[in-house]
Amino acid sequence: MWSRIGKLIKKLFSGKRSKVAFQQVFEQFQTLLQNHQDAMELIADLGEKSGGDYIFDRKYLVDSVSELQELLLRMVKGLNLISSERYYELYSTLDRVFFPIEMELRGRLALSNAPYVISLTEMPLDTPELTGGKANALGEIIHKLGIPAPSGFVITNRAYNRFVEYNDLEERIHSWLELWMSGKETLEKSSGQIRYGILAGIVPQDISRQIRDNTKTDNEFWAIRSSAYGEDGDLSFAGLHESVLNAPASQIPDAYKQVLASLYSTEALTYRRQMGMIGEEAAMAVLCQEMIDSRASGVIQTLSLESSQPNCLAIYAAFGLGRTVVEGRDSSDRYIVERAYPHKIVFKRIAKKESFVRAASRGGEEEAILPEDIRSKSSISEGIVNSLAKWAMALERYFKRPQEIEWAIDSADQIWILQCRRLAISPEQAETDGNIPDRFSSHPILIENRGVVAHAGVGSGRVYIVNNHADMAVFPEGSVLVTKYTAPWLAQIVPRATAIVAEKGSVAGHLATIAREFRVPALLGIDNATEILQNGMEITLDTHHRTVYSGKVDELINFERVQSMVFEESPEFRLLRRLLKRIASLHLIDPYASDFTPDNCVSVHDMIRFIHEKSVQELMEIPGSLARFKEAKVWQLESDVPLDLRILDLGGGIDPELCGNKVEIEQVRSLPLRALWEGVSHPDSWSTRPVEIDFKGLMSSLTRNWDAAGGGVANAGFNLAVVNGLYMNLHLRLGYHFNLIDATMHEQAQRNHIYFRFVGGVTDLTRRSRRAQVLSQILSNYHFNVLIKGDLVIARLVDLPKEEIESHLKVIGALIGFSRQLDIQLRSDQDVDQFVEQFLNRYGSLTKSVPAGGEDEQVKDYGLGR
Amino acid sequence: MNKLKIMVLDDEPIVCKRLKPALEKQGYEVDTFTQSSDAMEQIKNVEYDVIITDLKMKGIDGMQLLTEAKQRSPKTEVIVITGFATMETAKESFHKGVFDFIAKPFKLSEIQEVVSRAEAKIRGE
Repeated sequence: MWSRIGKLIKKLFSGKRSKVAFQQVFEQFQTLLQNHQDAMELIADLGEKSGGDYIFDRKYLVDSVSELQELLLRMVKGLNLISSERYYELYSTLDRVFFPIEMELRGRLALSNAPYVISLTEMPLDTPELTGGKANALGEIIHKLGIPAPSGFVITNRAYNRFVEYNDLEERIHSWLELWMSGKETLEKSSGQIRYGILAGIVPQDISRQIRDNTKTDNEFWAIRSSAYGEDGDLSFAGLHESVLNAPASQIPDAYKQVLASLYSTEALTYRRQMGMIGEEAAMAVLCQEMIDSRASGVIQTLSLESSQPNCLAIYAAFGLGRTVVEGRDSSDRYIVERAYPHKIVFKRIAKKESFVRAASRGGEEEAILPEDIRSKSSISEGIVNSLAKWAMALERYFKRPQEIEWAIDSADQIWILQCRRLAISPEQAETDGNIPDRFSSHPILIENRGVVAHAGVGSGRVYIVNNHADMAVFPEGSVLVTKYTAPWLAQIVPRATAIVAEKGSVAGHLATIAREFRVPALLGIDNATEILQNGMEITLDTHHRTVYSGKVDELINFERVQSMVFEESPEFRLLRRLLKRIASLHLIDPYASDFTPDNCVSVHDMIRFIHEKSVQELMEIPGSLARFKEAKVWQLESDVPLDLRILDLGGGIDPELCGNKVEIEQVRSLPLRALWEGVSHPDSWSTRPVEIDFKGLMSSLTRNWDAAGGGVANAGFNLAVVNGLYMNLHLRLGYHFNLIDATMHEQAQRNHIYFRFVGGVTDLTRRSRRAQVLSQILSNYHFNVLIKGDLVIARLVDLPKEEIESHLKVIGALIGFSRQLDIQLRSDQDVDQFVEQFLNRYGSLTKSVPAGGEDEQVKDYGLGR
Repeated sequence: MNKLKIMVLDDEPIVCKRLKPALEKQGYEVDTFTQSSDAMEQIKNVEYDVIITDLKMKGIDGMQLLTEAKQRSPKTEVIVITGFATMETAKESFHKGVFDFIAKPFKLSEIQEVVSRAEAKIRGE
């Protein structure tokens, strides 16, 4: 629809660059900044909701998306207004980007455009409606946890629908089910008739061709398994559906039909009838994976179901393929291992094994006799037992409930995870009667009702305080990560943690995003966490009351285990994550790259970034094209400060009595410019002492091709402030830095903002990045929201009272002088801290009313994610 | 002391699925409904201490249920959960008899705090 509006607008302006009133451009720019801020906050809110601390409904998602769409439409209009309709194609980008988001919300996307066959490495996550529960879980294991699973592909639910339609089976299935349900036919007859229909069906060419495309690998034999929707999720269809092991590629279509037919086996039908699901439309995705030539294989239960072994997991193992273990555990080796790191083996029983199942050379399986000398030997080493335990616990941490995991090891002793599903536990087995008190009086409470929840849940383990990279290397699996920081480098250990307690951090910050990505319960902003929680202490975090208990609270952990719903796995949270992928992910990184175009906008975030960059660029061109605005009167500021500043008054910014073209700061009426200038003209800001340039810095400043990387600022011969009484838009080009500051100082706090953007420099990227660090740390100290990308620094402040804006503008003024040649002096990372400190000491007096403090929690991540 | 009996009614299953364990963990007995007609039947047989209900639903809406519940058992405390947009109208149209309003989306801790206050009132603390 927007594209039509766009075309209409284009028609109205008939392709000619119209003259937009100068004032209007700046009004639009302010509105754009406001819309940008609102849109980013909306996205941050959606990200926060995915952490599970909120209860939201679908309506919230629908409302948020439509609000976002409205904001984006306004931004597209705004950019087109200030650029004389140069970006009208963004209207169709808007349509294209929001179309799949709307389809997701209507629940139509999963099947309508989906492929029949998709490889495990390319499959979308959070779409069990398309790929089935088993394949979806495997996808997460591969993509998120990086645990090895055999490669392969999924024949999707859409292929099932196609198969049924192609073979006219829908009516047949329906009528035989009717006959059985009404008691007119036996279960066996109905089941047999339906299965016969499926087995006699033809796999349509479009499906079989895609299967062939996906089997063009070196691999000869395949394992074909069911991946029904709901399977491995809330419902356990374990063992009800068929698997075909060790099938040659040519037999996959037949095996596929065999697995599909098992959807209507007598056992599967009986089960679905018991669960009240027979009326629902059934469908089945099928998983095809490269066959692992297993030397040994087996099953892990991450919670031993024998009450004599609390806090242990059980590993069953046997030689050869897994069927031996799956079908009977008496003849397999059994290890009982502690769930806690370092996973001590508390019991082992090596069975006497007579035979084993192996892959037959022409496909299929065969049973063989074990050589006498290994019959009483253990099928796996203790080293393997240890690795299995470690991975099993990682899987349980991620999937939130005890798991049953099938695994195999190949001849090179490489471990593979074949499948992973929820282990069914009864309340008795979990030792809970479902009747738990609100507070656990026997456990002292260490922290209560404090901090913010980044990701909801319960996690228990020993405290491990991480202060630096060295601590990370020795972080024990399954510990509670306690840290002063929220730094991005913590990302590496988050998947190994059972819970996180951090002194700093906000729900929109980087650590919060990572905690959600890996589903680790996280409580942030507990300012003395590293004092309360000591290394090695066993604790339990429950985000429910933002509580940390001393010790392991078994009642709480057992209560969680038997809850049927894992919020992360619920359809609503899956939908939210799918939406976030299309909204919050960022693909357009470099505004100077050739692919920085509307066509390459994939997500809403990309569009926001594109519009923002282009609107800033439009403003950047204004000083160079001032001549076009003949009506505009430009003043020159008289000052001792070596900064040639011209002022363009939109009205009320300059003393109306003044004549000529020169103005002194006392005659400037624009409040933001006066405040800023106070900082700029601070005696310490403009040291005329020549900067000592080292050779590397000099060479770099001489050779850098500024135009290529700087983007259209070279034509600006002077610095320009566009002002009115309450507003200032300042373009500065100092040396090779380009600085844009946009600010309002209104009586109403909610109309106020400061926007600060700094880019470029003389020296190499490392030094420029250091400068970005210095600016970011200083600005964060003054409570700006700071975003850094390479050497680009963007800082914002909104909704502050006039007086606060004034103090902050003084700080910015001082920073302009201070940062002039900062990067040349930044020779090492140590210099960064030194310069930050120097600034804070030197300009403390400027900013008495500005509360300094805070660190990286102000740095927003905006859910950049993957 | 007897456990507080709570009914949760919201036609979006996720609200029920998440509130039930959270409130049970706090020591309450919880029944959940996604169909207002079922909930209506239920209050004819069971007296709840607290009813947490959405407003806009297909068929019988939250308002009707609230009226019926209050008529049958004036002691029952009703907590209304509603979308942010409809909050003000909700507050205006019937503040009478409603213990409190909560706008969706809400934090688990927010509803727990309101239920705790309702409990204190019921137990006469």
